[in-house]
Amino acid sequence: MMRKTWCFAAALAATTALVAPLTSAARADDSFYAEAGKPYAGTTIRVLDEITPLQETLSKIVPDFEKETGIKVEWELLNHFEVINKGQADMLSGRGHYDAIMLHGAQLGPMLSAGVIMPLDKFVADSKLSDPGMNVADFIATPYKTTAFFEGKQYGFINWNYNHVYWAREDLLSNPEEMAAFKAKYGYDLGPAKTIEQMRDIAEFFTRKKGEKLAGKPLESDFYGIVLEGIKGGSTFSNLWVNFIENYGGDLLDDKGMPNFDTPQVVAALKMWRELWTFAPPGIAEYSLVDVPTVMGNGIAAQSLAWSDFVLGIDKPGVSPYAGKFIYGPIPAKAGNEAHRHADAEPSVTVINAASEHPEATFLFLEWLASKKQQDKLIEMGEGGVPIRESSWALPAIKDSDNPTLFAAMKSSLDVAKARPKMEKYPEIIDAMSGIAQEVGLGQMTPEQGAKEGQAILVKLCGGKSCTLPE
Amino acid sequence: MSATTEAAPAHVSTPQGLRERVWYPYILIAPSMIMLVVVSLVPFIYAIYLSFHQAKFGRVRDFIWFDNYATLLSDERFWNSIGVAATFVFIAVPIEFMLGLIGALVLNQNVRGRSVLVPLLFMPTMMAPIVVGLLWKIMLAGSWGFFSYNVLERFNILTDTSVFASPDLALYALIFVDIWQWTPFMMLAFFAGLQALPLGPYRAAAVDGANPVQIFFHITLPMMTPLLAVIGLLRFIDAFKVFDTIYILTNGGPGTSTETPSILANKMTFEFWNIGEASALAVLVWIAFFAFCTIFYQVAKKRLNAF
Repeated sequence: MMRKTWCFAAALAATTALVAPLTSAARADDSFYAEAGKPYAGTTIRVLDEITPLQETLSKIVPDFEKETGIKVEWELLNHFEVINKGQADMLSGRGHYDAIMLHGAQLGPMLSAGVIMPLDKFVADSKLSDPGMNVADFIATPYKTTAFFEGKQYGFINWNYNHVYWAREDLLSNPEEMAAFKAKYGYDLGPAKTIEQMRDIAEFFTRKKGEKLAGKPLESDFYGIVLEGIKGGSTFSNLWVNFIENYGGDLLDDKGMPNFDTPQVVAALKMWRELWTFAPPGIAEYSLVDVPTVMGNGIAAQSLAWSDFVLGIDKPGVSPYAGKFIYGPIPAKAGNEAHRHADAEPSVTVINAASEHPEATFLFLEWLASKKQQDKLIEMGEGGVPIRESSWALPAIKDSDNPTLFAAMKSSLDVAKARPKMEKYPEIIDAMSGIAQEVGLGQMTPEQGAKEGQAILVKLCGGKSCTLPE
Repeated sequence: MSATTEAAPAHVSTPQGLRERVWYPYILIAPSMIMLVVVSLVPFIYAIYLSFHQAKFGRVRDFIWFDNYATLLSDERFWNSIGVAATFVFIAVPIEFMLGLIGALVLNQNVRGRSVLVPLLFMPTMMAPIVVGLLWKIMLAGSWGFFSYNVLERFNILTDTSVFASPDLALYALIFVDIWQWTPFMMLAFFAGLQALPLGPYRAAAVDGANPVQIFFHITLPMMTPLLAVIGLLRFIDAFKVFDTIYILTNGGPGTSTETPSILANKMTFEFWNIGEASALAVLVWIAFFAFCTIFYQVAKKRLNAF
C-alpha cells in the first residue's frame, strides 16, 4: 500500500513538476496544438469511443482538432457492449486498427495485465507534445488518480466520469395526497431518499397494482416503487457492490485484495437488495443500464439508481413525457453511516493502443480532448454533461442549468467516486457475481447463501491469492 | 480394345487419358478440399494446439498438457452448461420432430391452399436467429413485452417475475422459441420426403385393405426412416450448438440457468479472454459429438438402413 501511494505520488509529482511552472503562467496558448501537430499533419488516427449523449456532443467538436492540427481523426462510436468487445479484441490481437480506445475503468485491470496499453509518460515528459496549459490539478482528483495511473506510470487522462445518481419522480414525491399518506404510514416526510432505508420505504409505498390510484388517478397498468439494473453482466454487480455493499460497510475485497464477501455487512446489503427487487418490475433481471432509464422515462417506476449520462438522454423535452418532472439526489447512504458514503462510478480513460503506429498524434488528440478549453466547450454545447474538471461545475451550463439537482447529484457522486480495483480477472468476477446478484434478487438464493457462494467464487477465481494486480 | 485406345496413355493431355490417371478424381475434389482444410481444419487444429497451452488475453504461453481440460472438467459451470444444452436438446428436438412429422402428414393429405401455406410455414425458419431473438424479446420482455403486457399481466399470470427473468422458466421459454423456429423446417423436410415416396406400396396396401395406421407404421415410416434419421441428427447437432437466440434473449442468465456450452465458450473467449480453456471446451464438445455421430451413423446404417 505504501509502495502504491509512493509510486502514484512520484508520477503525479513528475507530471506536476513538468506542468506547474507553465500553468502558473496561465498560457492559454491556442497555438500549442497547431504547433505541436505540425510534424503529424496529414496523419490519420482512428479512435473508438462509446456512444452516449456526451460523445454525440463531442463528435461535433472533434473536427476542430483536425482544423487546428491537420491530423485527421476517424472517430467511431459504438454502444457500451460493442465498444468493450471490439476495442479489447483490437488491442489484444495487436492489430492496431485503432490508435486510441476508450476503456471503462473496469477494463483496465485485464488490459494492463495483458500489456496492451501504451504508457504516456514519455509523451508527458516531451515538451513538444505536452500541453503546458493542461492543468491536471483541475481534474476531479480521486477518479483521475485512481484511474489514470498504475505502478507509477500514467496510462491516460481522465475522459469520462460516468457515475450513478439517485433518480426519482418529483411529481409523485411532492404530491400532497401521496405525501400525507406516506407520512401517516412511515412517520416521516416523503421526499427524495437520503438513506437506503428511505429508498426502500418509498419503493414499498409506490408499488401499486393496476386500478389502484397514483397521485389521485387510477393506474392503467402496474406501477413499481423502484427500477434497478438486474441483467447478467453489465453494471448490475457494480451497483450492488458500491451503492449497497460498500454503503453497508462491506466490500468485495479487503485492503490486500483478498476476497472479503462473506461478511455480515454483505449479507445485510444483500437482504436489502432482495427486498428492493420485490418492488421492481417483473423483468428487472432483464434490465440493462439502457433499460433502466427507459423504464423511468416511460413513467412506470417511482425511483431508480441510474448512470447520469443516460439520464441526460431521457430527461429532455420530447424524449420522455415526464421530462422536467424528475428530481435527482446523491446515492442514498446507509442510515447511520452517512459519513462513509459511497457512490458507484466508472471513471474511464481513452488509452493509446500499444500497437498504435501514431502514438504521438494520438497523444496530442487525447490531451486536446481533456484540455480545459475543449471540456468547457463540451459542457456548453451539451448544455451540461458529466464533468472531468472541477472548474466545469462553475460553467453557466451547469451552474444555471434547468436541472440543478442532477448536477448536484453528479457532483455528490464524483466527490466520493473512485476507480474499480485493477483485477486481471475482473470480467470473470463480475460475470459470476452478477449471477449471484440476480439469484439473490430473484429470491432463488438467500443473502447468506449469496455471500457464501460469492466468497467461494472469488477464492476460486483468484486462486486463493489477492484478486488485484500487484503494484 | 482397339490399337488407338491402347496407345492413349502416351497422350496424357487427352481427356480420355487424363481420366484414366488415378489422381484425376483428386484433382476434381482438390478445390473443395483445399477450401475445407483452410477454412475448417486449420482453425480446428489450431484450437487443439491452443487447448494444450496457457493462452490468455490473446497470448499463447506455456505448453501445459491437459491442464485446461482438467480445469474445465472440474468446473461446475461447464457441467451446468452441458446439462442446460442436454435439457434444451432432449426437449426441443423430439417435440420439433413429432410436430414436424404430424404437420408433414397433414400437409401430405392434399390440404387446400397448400401452395400458400408452405411458404408461410417456412417463415420462422427463414428468419435470421438474431431477428427471432429480437422478435421474442419484444413478445416476452418483462412489463413491456407485447405478450407479457397483454396476456400475462392482464390475466395475472407471472405477476412477480417475467419469463426471461425467471430461472425456472427462461430455459423453457428458449425451448419454446426454438420449437417455434425449427418445427416448420422439420415439417417441410419431412413433407418433401413424403412427396418423394413411391406410390406402388400404397396402392398394394389399399388393395390389401390396410388402414391408415397400418399404412403409416408398415409403409410410410420404414420408407421415411433414412430421411428422419438424417434430419433428426442434423437438428440435434444444430440445437446443441444454439447460440444467437440465447445470446439475445438471456445471455445465459438468470444466473447460469440458460448458459449452454456455446454461450460459455463465447464468454470465455470474448469476455474473459481465456482462450486456452475456451479451446479445450470446443475440443471436448467436438469429441462428444464425433463419438455420438459415429455411433448414430453406425446404428442408423445397420439397423435403419439410413445413409
